[in-house]
Amino acid sequence: MSDQPIPNLSDSRLASNWAAATGSWLPAVILLLATIIVWEAVVRTFAISAFIIPAPSEIAQSLVAQWETLMQATLVTAGEILFGFLVSVVVGVAIALVIVRFDWLGRALYPLVVLFQNVPKVALAPIFILWFGYGLAPKIGLILVIAFFPVTLSMLAGMQSVDRSLLSLMNSVGASPTQILFRIRVPHSLPNLMAGTKIAATLSVIGAIVGEFAGASDGLGYVIQFASTQLDTALVFAALLLVSVLGIAFYYAAEILERIVVPWAPKFSQA
Amino acid sequence: MRVETIRAAGGRPAHIRHDDLISAKGVSVVMARQLVLQNIDLSVPKGSFVSLIGPSGCGKSTLLKVLAGLVNPTSGSVSIAGLSPVEAARKRMIGLVFQDANLLPWKNAVDNASMLLGIADKSLSRAELRARGQEMLELVGLGDSAHKRPNELSGGMRQRVAIARALALDPAVLLMDEPFGALDAITRDSMGQSLLEIWQRTGKTIVLVTHSIDEAIHLSRHVHVLGIKPGRITESLDIGLPYPRDLSVTEDPEFVRLVVQLRTMLRASHQPGGAS
Repeated sequence: MSDQPIPNLSDSRLASNWAAATGSWLPAVILLLATIIVWEAVVRTFAISAFIIPAPSEIAQSLVAQWETLMQATLVTAGEILFGFLVSVVVGVAIALVIVRFDWLGRALYPLVVLFQNVPKVALAPIFILWFGYGLAPKIGLILVIAFFPVTLSMLAGMQSVDRSLLSLMNSVGASPTQILFRIRVPHSLPNLMAGTKIAATLSVIGAIVGEFAGASDGLGYVIQFASTQLDTALVFAALLLVSVLGIAFYYAAEILERIVVPWAPKFSQA
Repeated sequence: MRVETIRAAGGRPAHIRHDDLISAKGVSVVMARQLVLQNIDLSVPKGSFVSLIGPSGCGKSTLLKVLAGLVNPTSGSVSIAGLSPVEAARKRMIGLVFQDANLLPWKNAVDNASMLLGIADKSLSRAELRARGQEMLELVGLGDSAHKRPNELSGGMRQRVAIARALALDPAVLLMDEPFGALDAITRDSMGQSLLEIWQRTGKTIVLVTHSIDEAIHLSRHVHVLGIKPGRITESLDIGLPYPRDLSVTEDPEFVRLVVQLRTMLRASHQPGGAS
């Protein structure tokens, strides 16, 4: 390197950008591929039974063979996640707004919300099945109780971190609490809210699967449970793969939403 | 036990004159059992440029907040053109500028400049607000940055938008709390000069809290020095340098003499004073 002429600045920057980009995901891809190859090799060499650990090739076969069933189940689960996620965001935002806007109600509500957060939500699944049956409703309810909290908490943090001298400015011209809420606090809280929304997206996937475990006749969670009773471990893994893909998709959808909603927010991911 | 303070410089007694826009009489503020301000008498003539200078903890920011109606004095009274500070603020007579510009990051410069006006006067249309914002940005020298967001503006430019936002209310008085405190020396000089030009163009009354001796003398007509423990006005100094002033005034022998005089006063103000 030392005996090379000084490179054009933009060229070197391009090169280092490319190196940074590939450098960031290339090791992960190599490790993943290596894991799959070793996994396949180990299963074949030691002739491990497919209902204990299926080889990646067997999982792929199962994925192809059961494609239509799996896609149908994915669609059902994705619908639950999306619906439950939206309900969680709406309810989470509403609770945060009420806590900030109505002081007395907020002081009553906030401790209860925190208290409720300490209830193991997964344990509520059988009760929800009892109350709402085997359809969509218990899944939405379960996603809601699992996912609304980060939405409420992050939005509260954002709304309460408005600079005091900005509030002084607003007060000096006689702004009403509602004006301060909607013109200052709510937009100020959007970067925090979006961070909370990303967590809620991830939790929604968990909520849907737990809901399906507890009682369902469709969806990926149901497929996983049904396949494991049949000792069809390859199908379990295939469904698990699709659940992961769903989770990643929802997370990135939330991240794209963040860039659209708060283009002015600092980008933490680049740090 | 209230003792009338007689201000040293000029021997001018603290009575209200007819051309005073702001007059504070016997203002004391107690916060968290601490006497923050003791028996402040302050009169600010209409159209004047007054600076408050003093060591940290002398309560100069608190005094400005009292004038703005953001802090209620424990005793004493403040009148702004015959109104209480809160009434005056509701009538858009007070423009506030703080050390942090506090712009809304999701709004561009012109919408930030008209933001407070829009809240103060709900009858204005969006177009009227924009026009007013644009007019104010031009006044502070940012006419061609109207569509930039705060994160695209430098610290000095953001502070110019904050000044435009205060001026958009068309206030009688501009209360500024160390508005250039976070800026580098060169930007600070040019911001001061711009403020001077805005003052002369608009005829606003300005009260500036600063900790810069040069800034106080360069800009103001009257400087009040505050002392600590408790916060009180220890000295007042009239700056006789003729307007319009520019930065070359800092080389004037009179400027240098005033700097020495003010520095001596400030040094004295660092000594805690007992209740007289």
